Amino acid sequence: MDTKDKAHLKISLKYGKGDLIMKEGDYGVSIYKVNKGHVRVSQQQGEMDVALASLGPGEIFGEMAFLNKAVETRSASVRAMDDVELEVMHPKILSSEYEGMPPILRYITNQTLNRLARMNKMYTQLLKKTELTKARDLREPETNKRQYYRKPLHQACVYRPVRGSGKVRLEGQITDISVGGVGMDVSAGNTLKIPHEPGDEFAIHTTLPNGREVDLVGKIRGVAKTSTPGRLKLGMQFTGLNGESSKTLGFFMMS
Amino acid sequence: MTVNSLLYGYMVDELDYPDKKVIIEEGSIGDWVYVVLEGRVKVKKKTAKGFVTLFTLEEGGIFGEIPLFLKRDRVRTTTIQADGPVKVGILDTARLDREFELLSPQLKGLIKTLARRFSETVDNVGRLASA
Repeated sequence: MDTKDKAHLKISLKYGKGDLIMKEGDYGVSIYKVNKGHVRVSQQQGEMDVALASLGPGEIFGEMAFLNKAVETRSASVRAMDDVELEVMHPKILSSEYEGMPPILRYITNQTLNRLARMNKMYTQLLKKTELTKARDLREPETNKRQYYRKPLHQACVYRPVRGSGKVRLEGQITDISVGGVGMDVSAGNTLKIPHEPGDEFAIHTTLPNGREVDLVGKIRGVAKTSTPGRLKLGMQFTGLNGESSKTLGFFMMS
Repeated sequence: MTVNSLLYGYMVDELDYPDKKVIIEEGSIGDWVYVVLEGRVKVKKKTAKGFVTLFTLEEGGIFGEIPLFLKRDRVRTTTIQADGPVKVGILDTARLDREFELLSPQLKGLIKTLARRFSETVDNVGRLASA
């Protein structure tokens, strides 16, 4: 049977909601046209399934492997979003039509195709970045429980916001310390100069009772009033301690 | 990529642009298809945080082709800006359009899908880039 005869063989396929129609990484050359329903085109990025497109009646998928000869495997997965009817197109027929189209249209289409592949890549990379940030923010509440031994302390400290106005110098008292964070007692007046909101990051400098100076960086987990009017208690969680500070603090906690 | 005789056969005009000059503005209406003859252009997308450069086109690079395939609207989806002095050619849109319409429904469907997915993905990139 030559390709002309095959052109008259229309194969149609039916899928239900959620069915996997095409799997990323599989070998395959068929091209599909959506006749009814909608499909979701997605790509795996690490743990994530990234949606690239949803296609409806009249639209085509499976074309990447066919147009981009360098790609042998499916570059994306496709799932049915509802009741879907597809028409399978023989790649040979489409291929000969593609080769036979006016060269200038082929020239333009090849560029569109390459750019689509490029934009898909840029999109998934950007998404990955956004998702990672989101995932980190979600994980935080679990790590903010300071389960470490907290050493009571009564030590003066100076602190300033990590971001923004560099010349600000605020004063406070460290009331307890652990390897995970510090408790601080500060004047309510400090909050008039600089906002003290949960999540705000501060660099703290103090001298420990053993005489060692230490630089700490932490963010506010909670702000509470104390029994003394005009004083606030800050619960700070360390966000970035350099090696030197970690060592100094660890040593102090053991003593 | 070089500009071959194929493209010259379709060229109806040539235009020169100085560095940084905007050739196509996102949101404007138009359906001319262009080709870079000399120099480079940047393809940019407007986002809430300003412009993001998506890619750069050099000699032989086509731009403005999406409306040729999608028809339904001719609103430009990206901004094209000269990156250094540039010479561009304008292609015979009416002739390209006639030839496109003569393609089989399958092939037209395939190219239209590519074009739609391209502009949609560009929109998604623009949204994420400003997030």
